[in-house]
Amino acid sequence: MAIGVRSYDEVSLAQLRADPYPTYRTLRAEAPVAWLAPAGIHLATRFDDIMRIEKDHETFPALDLRSLQIKAMGHSLMRRDGADHGRQRRALDPTFAPGVAKRHWQPLFEDIANDIIEGLYEQGRADLFSDFAAPLASRCLMHILGLTQIDWRDLCRWSQALMDATGNYGDDPAIWARGKEAYDSIDRAIEARVPELQEAPDQSAISSMLHAEDPLDMADLRANAKVIVGGGLNEPRDATCTAVLGMLTNPDQLARVREDETLWRIVFEEAVRWIAPIGLYPRRVARRVEIGGAVLEGGDAIGLSVASACHDEDHFDDGERFDIFRKRSPHLAFGAGPHFCLGTWIARMQVGQIGVPALFHRLPNLRLDPDHEPAIEGWVFRGPTSLRVVWDA
Amino acid sequence: MPKLTFVQSDGTRMEISAEAGRSVMEAAIANSIPGIVAECGGSMACATCHVFLDDATAELAGPLAADEDDMLDFSAVPRRATSRLSCQVQVADTFKGAVITIPETQV
Ligand code: HEM
Ligand code: FES
Repeated sequence: MAIGVRSYDEVSLAQLRADPYPTYRTLRAEAPVAWLAPAGIHLATRFDDIMRIEKDHETFPALDLRSLQIKAMGHSLMRRDGADHGRQRRALDPTFAPGVAKRHWQPLFEDIANDIIEGLYEQGRADLFSDFAAPLASRCLMHILGLTQIDWRDLCRWSQALMDATGNYGDDPAIWARGKEAYDSIDRAIEARVPELQEAPDQSAISSMLHAEDPLDMADLRANAKVIVGGGLNEPRDATCTAVLGMLTNPDQLARVREDETLWRIVFEEAVRWIAPIGLYPRRVARRVEIGGAVLEGGDAIGLSVASACHDEDHFDDGERFDIFRKRSPHLAFGAGPHFCLGTWIARMQVGQIGVPALFHRLPNLRLDPDHEPAIEGWVFRGPTSLRVVWDA
Repeated sequence: MPKLTFVQSDGTRMEISAEAGRSVMEAAIANSIPGIVAECGGSMACATCHVFLDDATAELAGPLAADEDDMLDFSAVPRRATSRLSCQVQVADTFKGAVITIPETQV
């Protein structure tokens, strides 16, 4: 722990998991860069401080060799800086660029969403978390990756296992074992597809990495594929449920969206601002620096709470409220700087333009199931964990 | 150093001097010009650094690359003939009296 950083211990991990926002509000006001004792990390909670950090990668690099992510997934682009990072990112652009999302992925993802809804329609009820948001995210991700031969349920399992390993600060051997199993299964799935994608390139991430002008070697390719498995499933899944929850609990706003469908774009942005699917991510401190009234030392690590930044009162009035008509202002749910989410444009399309609107178009009188309260959980990653709804089938 | 004038959507004007070779986005951020958000810090991933150049400057700035062209279709305020992502435009000594208009919103 650095000297000159206030330690904050008036909250438990269980409380953070239940609802971290009250703690963030206190920290923003009293100790915007603090040592969060129960989690054993420094935390930055203000929008402007996080922006400053993300604009200064010399002082706050993404590479940290202690990173559990490197142990769990290999050394992907997410933990690289400068030219080394830029070249890996450029290799992936042909899969993730906004025009590609629209021209190439949109028609395919519309078919997937329609197929899932078709399968549910007659039931008149569903848990949208497990019955819609998860299969949608997973089936889309299979195509994005280029692992079209696998079962979407396996991909969900692997993704969760990798994420759990990345967060395995308690060094639980069972979690490492599940992580390793997922790691090996993904490698086998990649190996099975590479010869085909060598022969017949397509728009998928694995193909883009193989055929880049400056092609990536297999170790880089495998690590990047795993970070896409880990980062490309839970976030769009959680954003889907959050957006639906925002709409169903604010019928006046839903009515306006039904009149003006261009507002779906704003519904998505407001949902990820309201409950950021990735609540925080880490940076290393490369040299002694003052930020947010605290002094950090070279070698420290700091968590950037983008979830807190998305509720910062200096940028958002009444940040806890879901309000698509709030003053338009940039949020930080996709991060900022060179690591700005690579999947942003795909997520906007898959969730904001396809998944969420399709539910409201196709399921008449969609509403929350009065017998089951939605559950929301998490602070490092946060979202609804159950969203039971009914409709008039 | 070349002078750049930024015009906000409400008509407010601010003039700055910018070093040649930097991007217009970097010059704007360094001078705290409001309205250029630049979420991705110039890696051409976010489309929140959208600007409209005056005709002469657009000519001097040269043609845009295919990926910039593609991303401009996704800016919050619809593109026009002289739209650019300001992180992709390098300030040049030839930019005399450039007038750069900032759209009403970037998000
Ligand atoms: C609503 C959905 C999503 C949210 C809120 C989100 C959020 C984020 C955030 C906050 C980061 C920055 C992390 C850091 O700097 O350490 C990030 C990076 C990343 N995201 Fe997303 N993400 C979403 C969807 C996706 C999807 C669908 C994919 C892939 C299919 C994806 C792939 C990535 C990758 C590869 C990176 C690393 C980029 C780099 O390091 O240059 N994301 N995302
Ligand atoms: S700063 Fe993000 S595209 Fe220009």
